[in-house]
Amino acid sequence: MMGKVRNFSLQFKISSIYIVTNLLVVMVNIFLIIGINSMSGRLDMVYQDNRHLNDFSDIINALQDDMTDYLNVKTSDSLENYYRSEQLCRNMAADLNEEVTGRSFDRMERNIRHMTERYLEEVAKTIESKRGRNVEKYRLHYENATRMYGYIDTYLSNLNMEQFRSNSERYSELQQRFRLFEAVSVIAIILVMISNVCIIISFVGALIRPLKKLSSQADEVAKGNFEIDLLPVESQDEVGVVTGAFNSMVVSIGRYIERIRESMEAERALKERELLMEGHLKDARLKYLQAQINPHFLFNTLNAGAQLAMMESADRTYDYIQKVAQFYRYNMKKSEETVTVAEEVEMVDSYIYILNVRFAGDIHYEKHIDESLLYTEMPGMILQPIVENCVNHGIREMGDRGVILLSLYEKEGRVCISVKDNGVGMSEEIIDKVMSGTYREEDMASGGNGVGMDNVISRMRLFTGNENVMTVQSRGKDMGTEVCLYLERYGQAPGSSGEASCGASEWEER
Amino acid sequence: MTRRKALKIIKNRKQLHAGTEAPERKLSGLTFLPVFLTTVCILFTVFMAGYILWFYTGSFQEETAGSIYDRYYIMITREGKSVFWQSVYQGAYERALQENVYVDWLGNERFWDYSVEEQMEIAIASGVDGIIVTASEEEGMTDLIDRADAAGIPVVTLYGDNTQSKRCSFVGVGSYNLGREYGRQALRIMRERLTGTRETQMMVEEGENLGETETGDRENVVLGTAGGKDMAAEWKEVEVGSPDRPVRVTLLVNSYANSMDQNILYSGIQDTIEQERGDTAVALSLLSVDDTNAFSVEESIRDIFMGGDIPDILICLNELNTTCAYQAVVDYNKVGEVSILGHYVSDTIINAIDRNVIYATVDIDTAQMGGFCIDALQEYHDLGYTSQYFTADISLISKDNVDEYLRREEPENDG
Repeated sequence: MMGKVRNFSLQFKISSIYIVTNLLVVMVNIFLIIGINSMSGRLDMVYQDNRHLNDFSDIINALQDDMTDYLNVKTSDSLENYYRSEQLCRNMAADLNEEVTGRSFDRMERNIRHMTERYLEEVAKTIESKRGRNVEKYRLHYENATRMYGYIDTYLSNLNMEQFRSNSERYSELQQRFRLFEAVSVIAIILVMISNVCIIISFVGALIRPLKKLSSQADEVAKGNFEIDLLPVESQDEVGVVTGAFNSMVVSIGRYIERIRESMEAERALKERELLMEGHLKDARLKYLQAQINPHFLFNTLNAGAQLAMMESADRTYDYIQKVAQFYRYNMKKSEETVTVAEEVEMVDSYIYILNVRFAGDIHYEKHIDESLLYTEMPGMILQPIVENCVNHGIREMGDRGVILLSLYEKEGRVCISVKDNGVGMSEEIIDKVMSGTYREEDMASGGNGVGMDNVISRMRLFTGNENVMTVQSRGKDMGTEVCLYLERYGQAPGSSGEASCGASEWEER
Repeated sequence: MTRRKALKIIKNRKQLHAGTEAPERKLSGLTFLPVFLTTVCILFTVFMAGYILWFYTGSFQEETAGSIYDRYYIMITREGKSVFWQSVYQGAYERALQENVYVDWLGNERFWDYSVEEQMEIAIASGVDGIIVTASEEEGMTDLIDRADAAGIPVVTLYGDNTQSKRCSFVGVGSYNLGREYGRQALRIMRERLTGTRETQMMVEEGENLGETETGDRENVVLGTAGGKDMAAEWKEVEVGSPDRPVRVTLLVNSYANSMDQNILYSGIQDTIEQERGDTAVALSLLSVDDTNAFSVEESIRDIFMGGDIPDILICLNELNTTCAYQAVVDYNKVGEVSILGHYVSDTIINAIDRNVIYATVDIDTAQMGGFCIDALQEYHDLGYTSQYFTADISLISKDNVDEYLRREEPENDG
């Protein structure tokens, strides 16, 4: 039942509330009107009995008068009047009460009825005797009738008086009741009004409650909170439909958000894969490059070249080929191993030699080495790429004025390897990029062995377990660049650091 | 998005897909209130309707009150308002109700102005089922009773008989026995006056034994002075009881009442006094009281005290006479000189006995009397005949038992 009621439309519900409350008012009013009507009717009827009795009294009077009149004048008119009154009187007497009850009125009425019958008999006998001109008889009957008439009259006036008295009492009683009824009516109307107000407030409240909940939930959603409980759909009215739609909307929005999240995750995974692929590609390319070079063939070739140069007494050629062979061999062997600073310095020596042979001794190469630090361990293939950068970016365009200074010294308990050039220098911006590893050389494959600065920094950091492994300094354009590498020192005697710094400052002065 | 949020959304989605139906809702206070209010309002409206209906039917019932009776009798008496007749009527009324008969008393207020004969005429004309009337031996009454009988209305004469008529029964007290009792009481008064002592005696209540009243042990109690006079001394002084100054005993009779009954009663008194007076000379006289007019009785009785020979003992045969005589004795300062033997019991009479103004009174079982009337009429209706005479019980109330009587009356009055 309640469920059915819930499914009615909002309009129907609101209309029902108003109809029900109005019906209550109307019903109470109808009852009051019925009560008032019945009571006023009863008030009207209070003296009805008295009126009847008066009528009856009048008729009896008329009959007595008519009889007397006939006895006096004996006209046909008076006889006619007598008959009419007699008939009326008989009819009215027949309406009087016949039963003997506990009520004195009833018994008096009964007596009056019987006496009236006797009286009518006497009157009839009187008239008959008069018509028969029996003077003695009609006199006697007339006297009897008149005496009877007197009794009836007394009875009637007694009854009338008693009834009037009782009716007056009843009238005042009815009036009191009427007043009571008035009071009850006023209370009833007030109570119905109050209860109607209560009904309307409570019912409308019950109707509006889901709307309030809905609005507060909507407010929550508007603030961006989708973590709300779904509102229960209590009815199938308009509010219920809106609630249902709201629920669907909240769920749909949640679902869309979830979908977007999923697609974003997929995109990220894709990107990661792409990056991985790039790394693999690089690896593959490297491996490919490495695979292309057959070291044995290269070294055999170079050895053959060296032997040929020796047989032809071309010492310098021999040296050059030997250095080249040494350089590549080192490159092949040491790229993944831990080496000593000495080996790295030797590698740099070979590299500079090869470059000087290639570029006819353009590069001035100087070393300030603290011999005690030469056996410090470090990753392989570190110094050569730094020197290569110095050559390629620092001093390539300077011709024979280019100087590279390699220093090995101790500084603040750490081993410092400094590579300094007097080339074009670097802007702060580029230094930052290099240090953060975001600097990309336009063409990695064009020169060098493909080992970039970011690779160098990464390996140094991995090797030392320290973030602070390299500094790049440049005083500005055409003021040169200094790259310092920092390594942990293992049991080296102090003192050589001062020499190294001294050397560096000397070179600077020049 | 956190895992919690995702779970919430999934839960919501499940709930949404599960259907649009709301979860089972309990009738919370807020839901229950409107229903409760509506019910209360409807109940209230129904209550209102009930109230108005009650109003309706209540008044209706009031109009149709009273049951219907099988028969209707009318009682006609000479006096309207005396306690005696009211008591008789009450007895008749209560007995009648048991028989589903209603009895009306015409002498009650409405027809005060009409004579008994006129009331008889009214009753006959009203076509009642029976008439109870205080008759007299007059011819007019005989005619009326015969007329009623001719009209099929049985008549019971009450207290006063009309032996010549065709009345079906008479209900009264045994006049001769009553007379003997009055005589005996008169003698007792004489003895007490002459000796100056007071006798206590037990009255046997039953009517048949009335004549055999036992005289109890004489107590030699010196009578107190009444009205400041020592009656015994006074009587001795003027030799009351001697042939020159006999004790004057006057019987008040109603001029209109049944002379036959009064005669029987008178002879009862006379016989008793003659038999038991001894040497004492007693002059018994009849004094007729005029009761033809409304207020003539009181005047008649006062006339007695205005005259020369004031009786020593005054015997009254009805309540009105007794009350009037008592008042006259008090008014004329004859307390102690005139002893009154009363008739019937009213508050006034009882108080008078208590104060020694009335010597004694005869109490008639009025309820029984009224009941006999109804019984006679009913019997006549049912069987066609009935007993000719019904005699009601009488009892004597004097100073000896008036206290007991007062005690018995008080709770009734309180109730």
